[in-house]
Amino acid sequence: MSAPAPASPLFWRFNPEVYRLIGTKCKDCGHITYPRRKICPLCGSLNLEEHKLSRRGTVQTYCINWTVPPGLEPPVPIIVVDLEGGGKYQGVITEVTQAEEVKIGGKVEMVLRKVWTDRGINIYGYKFRLVEEALR
Amino acid sequence: MRGKVAVIGVGMIPFGELFEKGLETMAQEAYINCLKGVDKGIDPKEIKAAWFGQWSGGLIGQGTQGGSGLASMIGQMEIPITRVENGCPTGSDTFRNACLGVASGVYEVTLALGAEKMRDKPGVESLVAAGGGTGAGMGMHPSWMLGGGGPSIQALYATRQMYELGCTMEDYARVAVLNHHNGVSCPYAHYRFEVTVERVLNSPVVCWPLHLLDCCPQTDGAAAALLCRADVAKKYTDKPVYVLGSNIGMDHGNLWDKHNFIEMLSTIRAARGAFEMGGVKPGDVDFAELHDCFTNTELMNIEDIGFCPKGEAHKLLREGQFDRNARLPINPSGGLKAHGHPIAATGLGQICEVFWQLREEADERQVKIKNGIGLQHNVGGPGFGVSGVNILSRTP
Repeated sequence: MSAPAPASPLFWRFNPEVYRLIGTKCKDCGHITYPRRKICPLCGSLNLEEHKLSRRGTVQTYCINWTVPPGLEPPVPIIVVDLEGGGKYQGVITEVTQAEEVKIGGKVEMVLRKVWTDRGINIYGYKFRLVEEALR
Repeated sequence: MRGKVAVIGVGMIPFGELFEKGLETMAQEAYINCLKGVDKGIDPKEIKAAWFGQWSGGLIGQGTQGGSGLASMIGQMEIPITRVENGCPTGSDTFRNACLGVASGVYEVTLALGAEKMRDKPGVESLVAAGGGTGAGMGMHPSWMLGGGGPSIQALYATRQMYELGCTMEDYARVAVLNHHNGVSCPYAHYRFEVTVERVLNSPVVCWPLHLLDCCPQTDGAAAALLCRADVAKKYTDKPVYVLGSNIGMDHGNLWDKHNFIEMLSTIRAARGAFEMGGVKPGDVDFAELHDCFTNTELMNIEDIGFCPKGEAHKLLREGQFDRNARLPINPSGGLKAHGHPIAATGLGQICEVFWQLREEADERQVKIKNGIGLQHNVGGPGFGVSGVNILSRTP
């Protein structure tokens, strides 16, 4: 029996978090998170506002995954980024295969990439790219 | 909690690749061993409630278990049984719930049993099928959680630990050397061989900076403990072990909500609460069974529980301070590195080891007992946001 075709991923475009990077910021403790919340996960406050996450930041930490989920080609470099203006983001780095290419504190920015293909349908998302210091 | 609950017997099966045994067989063997482990014997009818630790059944295609699963396995249809699932600390939390059942005064004798089949799926698929604690794999968010798994979460910590605390991949390898050495003499361990720093560093990279031998293996297993009211414990054994503190600590499941990548607040909170309950301090503990799912994790655990300041564990390790004959033996059983990590069985297997050590029944892996206090710890679940700590003692 063949698997049912996936629902169109296009609806993701209407979700504010995914491509427009809308999260929430706590007006009491300042914690920034996503997806959007009505209660701050850090302090429990109900006093939250929408916050647009930056697409740029610096590397907090990283790893190079060689045992990736089926359907992906190893290696997949994974990073946690400290975003400009606050908040962290977890994602993968594109155009990198070696640990030596990434540095904690190095600058990165989000770019839109095809992240995988689900039964013939392309799924797009953000990946991080190392920012060349010389170009800034 | 302190003074109310006693462990009167424990039992487990040798962990390993148990392709010939189903979940039922493993659970039954652990249960029978546990009943036999009660010195003066116990009639199964004296057990008034049970908690069943089971994590992955439904996720890896073996059917989602409920309390009725255990009721059927052990022929206990007349008592209430609840399934517990709380990530990698499922065993810790199963034990805790059975403690609470006794401490509440509702039940005189309770059972905590955890069992897990991990090897029926290949390693990578098994971790990924279950989400690896990250919600990793496919069908999740296209940017946030892509390409991860269990090892990648701890690898993100390991990189930052090296950057901020000055430990190295050699230090991580030293954790594997110590725990595998201890595991050689444990008849319940999955892997009973020595490793060297070179062998760890030359093993394949699973998720840089972690190598294959930095990771615990995928393993099947089951373990159980019988608890009763402290004031009637002597009816079952002359050497009961008492529960001083039993706690579960929380932290964010999403990595982007974490405050840093050098400590785990779940462990800090679990330990703090357990020590407060027991009225004891980290310095009172004779030895500890800590959650070394990955080698870097063990170093974090030692610091997060409060055995030493942040950034000191790798230095103490180099000095041999955690060896079995040293001041603070860590994982005298060989830990998860040697036993493997059959999720719900892991914590209860550690409880078994703490019980045996405190009763000085651990044969050649016996540590020196001074204060008569041992500690058991798990950490894991989504984003390693769940931790369990149980503190046991020879005296109430």
